[in-house]
Amino acid sequence: MNRKRLDYRTFVLDRLIWFIIILVFVFFSIFAHQFLSTTNMINLLLHTSVLGLLVLGQATCLLSGNFDLSAEGTVTLLTVLAAWLMGSATAGAGANSFDSGSGWGLNPVLVIFIIMFLGAGIGWLNGQMIARLRMNNFIVTLAMQLTLRGLALTLCLGRNIASIPEVFRYLGTGKVGPIPVQVIVTLLFVAVFYYYYKVSSFGRALYATGGNPRASYASGFNPGKTVIKAYMISGFLAAIAGWMLLGGVGESGPELGVGLTLETVAAAVIGGIALSGGRGTILGAFAGVLLLSVVGNGLNVMDMHPNAVRAVRGLIILMALIIEAQKVRYKPKLVR
Amino acid sequence: MNNKVILKMEGMCQAFPGVQALEEVGLEVYKGEVLGLVGKNGAGKSTLVRILMGLQTPDAGTITIDGKSYERMASSAALQAGVAYVPQIVNVMDSLSVAENILAGDMPVSRLGLVDWKEVYREAESRLARLGLNLDVRKPAEGLKVAEKTMLAIAKALFGDTKLIILDECTAPLPHADIELLFDFIKSLEGQGVAFIYISHHLEEVFEICDRVTVLRDGLGAGTYQVADLDMDKLAHLIAGEDVKEYERFASAIKDRPVLKIEGLTRRGSYEDIDLVLHEGEVVGLSGLQGCGAEDLAAGLFGMERRGVGSVTINGRPLTARNPKEAFSQGLALLPQDRNKYGMVGLRPVRENVTYTVLDRIRNFLGVIWRKKEESIVDGYIESLGIKTPSREELVRQLSGGNQQKVVFAKLAAVGPSVLVLHEPTTGVDIRAKQDIFKIVDDLASKGSAILVISSKAREQAGICDRVIVMYKGRIVKEFHKGDSGMTPENIVRAIEGEGYDE
Repeated sequence: MNRKRLDYRTFVLDRLIWFIIILVFVFFSIFAHQFLSTTNMINLLLHTSVLGLLVLGQATCLLSGNFDLSAEGTVTLLTVLAAWLMGSATAGAGANSFDSGSGWGLNPVLVIFIIMFLGAGIGWLNGQMIARLRMNNFIVTLAMQLTLRGLALTLCLGRNIASIPEVFRYLGTGKVGPIPVQVIVTLLFVAVFYYYYKVSSFGRALYATGGNPRASYASGFNPGKTVIKAYMISGFLAAIAGWMLLGGVGESGPELGVGLTLETVAAAVIGGIALSGGRGTILGAFAGVLLLSVVGNGLNVMDMHPNAVRAVRGLIILMALIIEAQKVRYKPKLVR
Repeated sequence: MNNKVILKMEGMCQAFPGVQALEEVGLEVYKGEVLGLVGKNGAGKSTLVRILMGLQTPDAGTITIDGKSYERMASSAALQAGVAYVPQIVNVMDSLSVAENILAGDMPVSRLGLVDWKEVYREAESRLARLGLNLDVRKPAEGLKVAEKTMLAIAKALFGDTKLIILDECTAPLPHADIELLFDFIKSLEGQGVAFIYISHHLEEVFEICDRVTVLRDGLGAGTYQVADLDMDKLAHLIAGEDVKEYERFASAIKDRPVLKIEGLTRRGSYEDIDLVLHEGEVVGLSGLQGCGAEDLAAGLFGMERRGVGSVTINGRPLTARNPKEAFSQGLALLPQDRNKYGMVGLRPVRENVTYTVLDRIRNFLGVIWRKKEESIVDGYIESLGIKTPSREELVRQLSGGNQQKVVFAKLAAVGPSVLVLHEPTTGVDIRAKQDIFKIVDDLASKGSAILVISSKAREQAGICDRVIVMYKGRIVKEFHKGDSGMTPENIVRAIEGEGYDE
């Protein structure tokens, strides 16, 4: 039998992304001046942090066999909402003021709790519609994304709010030594989620549900609850990603977060998460983010035009799908 | 009968990992006859048909259709050679009319390039008339009865250059009156020189419609016979076989204590008035045709479907489970028939699959699983059930069918169920693994579980069960006891077929 050969093949394919990341990294270190500079390295890490958090949520949903296209809508709405809630209408209150908001000037810590709660709540709503009402996950979360962005636009009336308190901004701007706080937080989240999904019964339920929902039900799991939890996790992480993003940028606006969802799906796929569910790891998904970031950053440093960089990133996603398709093709047939 | 051979298959061999599905099997079909193809599940009928239709490349053997030889068929070649396959449930295009279904892909077109509807209906009607089939061609096909859809599929095949039609269990979903309708149609076509291969589990039908019958048993040909030379007994005996060494349950450790008690359980349309008591250490077989209610009963007990009205108790406590999880905690576990769909998560390793049912017991308050405890459970079952796997981390889908089934057994045994319901536990399992599985069933029973084996494999049932209960059309109609001279595979097969209970 040639099963040994097939296993070797899957082994390499499963870890391919790390080899590629190293290769690309070495390439840019040699050919792009300034790529290895401290400033650029920190830049690179900054770029991975918000996306890294969001990809955790996306990967969680994908593992359960569902897309979450709503996460970027959650980011947009919650950043606008947070800025609005914290806004004190003092500094030159007026229709076009950049500093306006609700005028309540809520405590930043309270606001953080509110957006985390709302993020999980949005996920809960997604999950209910998908798991209980059996609606299509793709369409539900797409509609949710549009709704949330619409709400965000309504709330901010096209204005940006720039009066973000320092306490709130710490997550986005703070540093421990030379390393940004947000990078540390993201890496912590990645480590905890990776480990937890590996060793916990929730991880088991997640993989079983995505791998074979009917069998998981017949084995005593509750696939519906698992899916709902996955969306709540995704929503919660989107709230934290929003907090991080708003803190870093320092100004809310209806464009914050736009376009992130597809990046997370792409990164997850590049990282080996199967869109059909049940296959891949959190670490892989994060590797997907790393690869996209390293390539984007490296080409930037090499002065490639941003539009061309986009094209390259698109090509990487296609490459990842080709590799994924190979995996499926070489998957040993079910023994009858 | 015309003696022209339409189809000849010789020396067909086909091996799957762990199973010799066909070994030197041959058959012949003459023009204008109906050849029955019978055998138990897994006897090789469907493999043979798949080879004939070009869906499977045989390891050896030749196929001769109308004088032309093939080493292997391509699926397009099968159709071109004039072989058509009609499945149990025919796919018709429901929203289109009968006429459109008949002429799909070849619609008459007017000079303007539009469909010429008058011509469509006229042509469809005349084609059906030639076959003596009377259907309203303007009606949408979704209004047709299942039998009519089957006839439509047969008719459609015949408008091409079809010489041989394979009917696969086509009466299974049909009510009695419609079966007659279909049989009349088949007989009329037989007169016109069309040949049929008729696959069925219903032996009475074989006697009603077939001229000759080819019997398959465990991948071997068990001969071809003129139906006129056979009776029900002989045929049942040929199908069940006798030369295969079958398992005999030895450890009968039945205690008097009842474990599962079912009283007057009824779910309309599925099963009626079921009374059943299972004792500690007892293995009870539940047999019947597809749709006899046994499967529904299993699903009902396990909480996958509604249970209906009536009383069910396990160890004196009422069974109220509304889902599998609750069923496990109330002491009942089910081994599903379709392993790939319901039994296992093939993408995950053996270790995880085995402990799915007992995670509650081996995790801490954070939900983190104690790896050591988990590994010792899994290693224990790999050892005691003899699961052949390179390691406990192997993905379940990489294992052979028998070992996959053992993993599912391990998962259920881990729960320590009082009642274990097994639905066709030997599906897709080769002969040696079968013996292992019977041994496992035996062991579980001797450890005190009451076991209900739902299966239509009469010989196995006779070998491993202390009692065999037969259901027909939703009711329990017969009970065999081990040691009674009447508990033979042949008698069980006949009871399964509903002999003496029809109408």
